[in-house]
Amino acid sequence: MVTLTINGVVQEVNVPSNEIPMLWVLRDIVGLTGTKYGCGIEVCGACTILVDGSPRKSCQMSVNEGVGRSITTVEGLSPDGVSHPLQKAWVQLQVPQCGYCQSGMLMSACAHYNSGSNGDGIEIDNLCVCGTYQRVKQAIQLAATL
Amino acid sequence: MAIGLMEAAPNAEQMQEGLSLPSGIKPSRRQFLVSATGGFMLQFCLPGLSRFASAAGVPAPTAINSYIQIGTDSRITVLFGGCELGQGAMSGLAQIAAEELMVEWTQVKSALAPLGPITYITGGSSAIRNNYLPLRQAGAAVRMMLIRAASNHWGVSVNQCYANNGTVIDAPTKRVLTYGALALAASKLAPPAKPTLIPDAALRLIGKPLVRLDMADKTNGRAIYGIDVRLPGMVYAAVRHAPMLGGTLASTPTNRNGVTFVNLGTAVAAVAGDTHSAFSALGEGDDDGGGSGGGGFKWTTPPNAAQIASTVFATQAATIMKQGPVLESEVVGSALAAKSTSTTTIDATYSVPYLAHACLEVLNCTVNLTPTFCEIWAPTQVAGWAQAAAAAITGLPLAAVKVNVTYLGGGLGRKLETDCIVQAVQIAKAIKKPVKLTWPRQEDFQRDKYRPMAVSYLRGSLDSSHNIVAWWNRVVTPSISAQKGFITAGAEDGGAVEGAVTLPYAMVNRLVEFGPHPSPVPIGWWRSVGVSYNAFFVESFIDELAHATSQDPYQYRRRLLVNNPRFLAVLDAAAELGGWNTTLANGHARGIAIAETFGTVVAQVVEISGASATGLRVVSVACAVDLGRAINPDSIEAQMQGGIVHGMGAALWGHITFANAAASVQNFNTYRLVKMSDMPTIKVKILPSTNPPSGAGEPGVPPFAPALANAYFRATGIRARSLPLFPAASHMGD
Repeated sequence: MVTLTINGVVQEVNVPSNEIPMLWVLRDIVGLTGTKYGCGIEVCGACTILVDGSPRKSCQMSVNEGVGRSITTVEGLSPDGVSHPLQKAWVQLQVPQCGYCQSGMLMSACAHYNSGSNGDGIEIDNLCVCGTYQRVKQAIQLAATL
Repeated sequence: MAIGLMEAAPNAEQMQEGLSLPSGIKPSRRQFLVSATGGFMLQFCLPGLSRFASAAGVPAPTAINSYIQIGTDSRITVLFGGCELGQGAMSGLAQIAAEELMVEWTQVKSALAPLGPITYITGGSSAIRNNYLPLRQAGAAVRMMLIRAASNHWGVSVNQCYANNGTVIDAPTKRVLTYGALALAASKLAPPAKPTLIPDAALRLIGKPLVRLDMADKTNGRAIYGIDVRLPGMVYAAVRHAPMLGGTLASTPTNRNGVTFVNLGTAVAAVAGDTHSAFSALGEGDDDGGGSGGGGFKWTTPPNAAQIASTVFATQAATIMKQGPVLESEVVGSALAAKSTSTTTIDATYSVPYLAHACLEVLNCTVNLTPTFCEIWAPTQVAGWAQAAAAAITGLPLAAVKVNVTYLGGGLGRKLETDCIVQAVQIAKAIKKPVKLTWPRQEDFQRDKYRPMAVSYLRGSLDSSHNIVAWWNRVVTPSISAQKGFITAGAEDGGAVEGAVTLPYAMVNRLVEFGPHPSPVPIGWWRSVGVSYNAFFVESFIDELAHATSQDPYQYRRRLLVNNPRFLAVLDAAAELGGWNTTLANGHARGIAIAETFGTVVAQVVEISGASATGLRVVSVACAVDLGRAINPDSIEAQMQGGIVHGMGAALWGHITFANAAASVQNFNTYRLVKMSDMPTIKVKILPSTNPPSGAGEPGVPPFAPALANAYFRATGIRARSLPLFPAASHMGD
């Protein structure tokens, strides 16, 4: 049993081991499936979450490392799921295609957004097989103005 | 019989006068059901990739697979029998229906049809291409019935009533009834035999860049993909396949540490309380992404394992290229004889490798199997095939198998296969619990149904005016249709030569041949299928002819397209958009290419910089497209952008090789894809057209590789006759 703070909610989570990656704790145990599995080796970024505000690939982060920290997933971007400026910009510019990578993409973008970036020159390392990158860039810039 | 993914879109005549109802809508009350929310549903059949379904031995859809539902609360839902894999089909189809229903976009919801059996196949860029007219007819039928119900209610002529914003209005009195209020009465009427479509001049929604209906849920974690399905009491499974193709599990491992193992023949499944525990029991999740030797399982190696090797495949291809056997796919005139009368003959041999689909969502499937019912949740392009496969494994009748199609985290053709679904049902049968099977990424790469390798010999003979008097193209590649049993091994396969036949260019004599390659590597349909490689071969070779005759490659194509105004217009648009005639910056070069895929013509101008023997930068891509009537221009632009990115990763770095029956790639760290920092600026121009719509999902892919290779030649003088351009640069990440 570990105590985690996920999207502002403090909760006791029954984990099979303290080494289980945060990705699978979120998905299989807590039931927050917005964070995605893509590669398991910290390359694709589909599992990106914020840990104390910094983007972190959760597939190789043990649950232990999350104890005492603030975890934010895509479900925690906004209370209603639509009102974060990044979410508004993403919808306005119709960024997602299949959408599978977009949770991780949004969390990486969120770290830039929170730092006050206007979006210029940002290069996010997340993979998008659908090729939405051009719109992701535009949406980060748009979000900074919303 | 030639079997490809090509199908004719409804033609102009059908558009004008083919107002009979799509099959499945019969003028009978039985066609209307009171929906769960009250109101009524119009049921009908959308064809999807219907001819392909027939080829696979599954009946083409004639049964109901799609619905328009009008609730008594006036909510309008378009339920579609296919799937949403990012192409925007659910929204595009709802947009078409909303047009005929005369409602606003905000009044419409879209969903996947929850009712089986479903024979609809999502593939071949067919969602809009083949469903456009049937859906307009269905929407028009609903509108006419609602108007009829209103006129009956008021006791006035139907001719004085009209639909507007989800209501019916009695023109003289301005009385209004909502669709919701009319739904039950309308459900008792017969649908019109010939629905009247809204005239072109009055179209309000078709052609507008409406915001797709799945956008919000894809920004907040609410979109449920197959991998996200959770059932009460569910356990988690993963598989490891034999480390060599054709290998089998020698003995079933003993259950340990709360993990149950299931012998699937060519793979072992581990079942545990969470995905990570299942992965770990298979030796996955190592820091290096796992290796084929993990898990300590005993495998039986097939006797031909050493022969499953890229070096062997290449030798076989060279032999077939030289000696046959080959089949004639297209014969016009006498290409071989015409060579002797020509003044110049040029030839070249090209090749492309196997490719992975690499959908970001790995294969997965969730099954709840009871003695009398099997319910499946899967990200699948072929719900009907999944249903049939599950029925065969469980012995249940088709009616006792329900397939719930989730969102797909990419499809790209990989989810036209049922291999993972079959395994999940087998596991459910063995362990008798609700189970979700998730493939580790390594399995996704190691057991893909790869885009086939292909080798192409081209010979062009030119007269003194540089006209092509003879064109000979021999394509050696494994046949997807033959491997899947749709056609006899060694038979003609139209799919293998898609993009190599019916070329738009003026060529007096042509011979296109297909040499079936016997490679045992599992293959499948990859975004744009045969055109993905044939366009590279043909458009590179056209460039070679232009260069050999000292002509500008754009102008040379213009000459060859003199009798093909549609292609010419697309080519000109791309050249203009890409600034073909403008001065290039130092170190920059441009290439151009054009190809037709699923009825859609796309031309691209690719501009590169910094080209060397080890890399280059793609600066910009100008893409012009004629896909008939554009339903949602924003979605089309997105599909072109996506197709270009897909083609770009494949052209620069994509390749899978085989040695000792094992694929060379385990994970994304050795299968480089385009990242944001690699992105060119992409500009898309959609040519205006009132022709019936053709495909959008795949046609953006094929022109990229040849346009890039042609630019690379201009920059370096190196003619890239095999892809990828930079196989040694295929690492990504740490």
